[in-house]
Amino acid sequence: MSEPVEGVDHDVEQQPEADRIRVMVVDDHPVWRDGLKADLERMGAAIVVSEAADGGEAIDRARDAMPEVILMDLRLPIVDGVEATRRIVEESPHVQVLVVSASGEEADVLEAVKAGAAGYLLKSATAEEITDAVRRIHAGEPVFTPSLAGLVLAEFRRVAGKEPNEPVLTARENEILKLVAKGYSYREIAGKLFISVKTVQNHVQNILTKLQLRRRYELMRYAIHKGLDRAPEPEP
Amino acid sequence: MNPLTPVWDLPSIRPRGGELLPTVDMDVIPPQVERARRTLWAGLLVFRWVSFAWFAANAILSELTFRYGPLPWIALALTGAWTLWLSLPPENQERPQAPWIDLLIGVGLIVVSGLVVPPGEVIGDTPFFAVSYPVSAALLWGAARGPGGGIAAGAVLSVALVASRPINDIPLQDLSHGQIFGLMNGAIFYLAAGAATGVFSLMFTRWAEQFRSLAEAAIHASEKDARLAARESMGRAIHDSVLQSLALIHKRARELGEDPTVPGSQVLELADMAREQEQALRALIMREPEEPPAGAASLRDRMEAIVRSVQRMPVTLSAVGPIWLSAAHVETIAAAVEQALDNVVRHSGATQAVVFADIEDSWVIVSVRDNGRGFTYDERDLQESGRAGLLKSMKGRVEDLGGRMRVKTAPGIGTEVEFRVPYDQAEVSSGGGSGE
Repeated sequence: MSEPVEGVDHDVEQQPEADRIRVMVVDDHPVWRDGLKADLERMGAAIVVSEAADGGEAIDRARDAMPEVILMDLRLPIVDGVEATRRIVEESPHVQVLVVSASGEEADVLEAVKAGAAGYLLKSATAEEITDAVRRIHAGEPVFTPSLAGLVLAEFRRVAGKEPNEPVLTARENEILKLVAKGYSYREIAGKLFISVKTVQNHVQNILTKLQLRRRYELMRYAIHKGLDRAPEPEP
Repeated sequence: MNPLTPVWDLPSIRPRGGELLPTVDMDVIPPQVERARRTLWAGLLVFRWVSFAWFAANAILSELTFRYGPLPWIALALTGAWTLWLSLPPENQERPQAPWIDLLIGVGLIVVSGLVVPPGEVIGDTPFFAVSYPVSAALLWGAARGPGGGIAAGAVLSVALVASRPINDIPLQDLSHGQIFGLMNGAIFYLAAGAATGVFSLMFTRWAEQFRSLAEAAIHASEKDARLAARESMGRAIHDSVLQSLALIHKRARELGEDPTVPGSQVLELADMAREQEQALRALIMREPEEPPAGAASLRDRMEAIVRSVQRMPVTLSAVGPIWLSAAHVETIAAAVEQALDNVVRHSGATQAVVFADIEDSWVIVSVRDNGRGFTYDERDLQESGRAGLLKSMKGRVEDLGGRMRVKTAPGIGTEVEFRVPYDQAEVSSGGGSGE
């Protein structure tokens, strides 16, 4: 790792620290955290204000450090990433959680997105890709990968049409999600459908919101099924 | 549409492995059933004692009217001793010889009734000597041998009942309509009593069987959960050590490879190797094993293997469910996709590609999309670069499956090759599909 530091500094335009995106890195591997921190700060767009090795730590430290974006690993020792995401987003809805997970954990990623994560990136992403994702997610743009789009599609089809009030995708959202799953960027989708990039982003944001709503429906149905919505019956 | 999974199958709230249900010993009758069965047997004993008390009271009160000297008293004492033996302990009722002795005593009491009651009075005002005690035999038979046993015992008692009339000097042909009716009433009483406990006992047997099969299913499920839990913990361990490092090597090596001061090709090779190993290992440990319909193969899994095998370019797979198809269909589609990806790597100049697999409106749809330079359809150009033959070959493969191939491309916007194959022919069984 003998990268000429000066060269990097010339390549990347450093922003003043106050303008940088405040990022928190949650991962149980110190090596990985260090690497991610180095990458993000080297690219000059973000500053790592806090780190955590476990979901519980992440929830606590997010309160004090007030990050704008949290890079969240999912497999964490005590409180997992899905639960941490849920609690953090509940407490501070303005925090954007970007799941940075290894491949093969797609089912967990879907749970994390249902719990409120705004994006997903593979750990094998390059420093540029990660920085770009942090910028986009900070700007309120959901970061989807094609494989996540495929999972979300499958999720919406799983119980499609079974519940009258359950949020389902509109034809347009379905079309857009499928294009994302095929690997088209928002810009390319906008071009294909003759709509603005902003409209595409709004559609994707709506899809995410519906996905998060579905989780509430699932919990509600589960509660009704288990009779948790009724008061406990008096002992005979 | 695709088969749907049950609404309650919520991955996020599923109980952890092994806690589902306690394991159950297969040879033991489930305690719930055992309790109900005990209640039935205890009920029989209560009936027996009440009958015996009534029998004894009746015998003592009408002492003077009985014939045959000590015979009624011997019968009463014998019945009392038998009732006592059956009660101490109540499990004696379930001994194999008990129903036979009981039936013998029941028939005996009916016959003795015919003998000891003054002639012609067994249907008169004098109460029947044995009163309801013989019914106990029918009840016991039903409980021990099911409805068949109960009815058979009831029938034997009925025959004895009919025979008790001639024994009491009342010829059968002299019976009035009312008397025949009374006799039939008694017979039906015996039969119904035997059948009733028989039905209960049968119910308990079925119930126990049901419990057992539920228990078996629960054990099966908890074994599966335990296997999954073991797999998961192994997965975590490997994830924490090997995979993280591999991912890091892959990332760093790629960055080095893009640095002009470092000899690129070797580092890229290292990156590819690390990536391939990492993904292979992940695929091995992370995914829950899915049970395919017989003879089916998962298009998604096959596509994943292909995507992993591509060197030199990151290829992503997105799939809507596992997509179960016949193995032959999966292989043909796989061959076409491999050709398409090969073409992308060789000719497109793309930096990444995405394979998308889906089932929609009874079509299996697989698309291979790259961000390369795209091309205009020029027969001669395609002939020269050898791609015309490739396109024709891919097209031929999907058309063999009754499908279609479509290429969407233009210079500068990349290329999307889409294969569509009819799902109903590719499906293995009606139970297949892409459901999770």
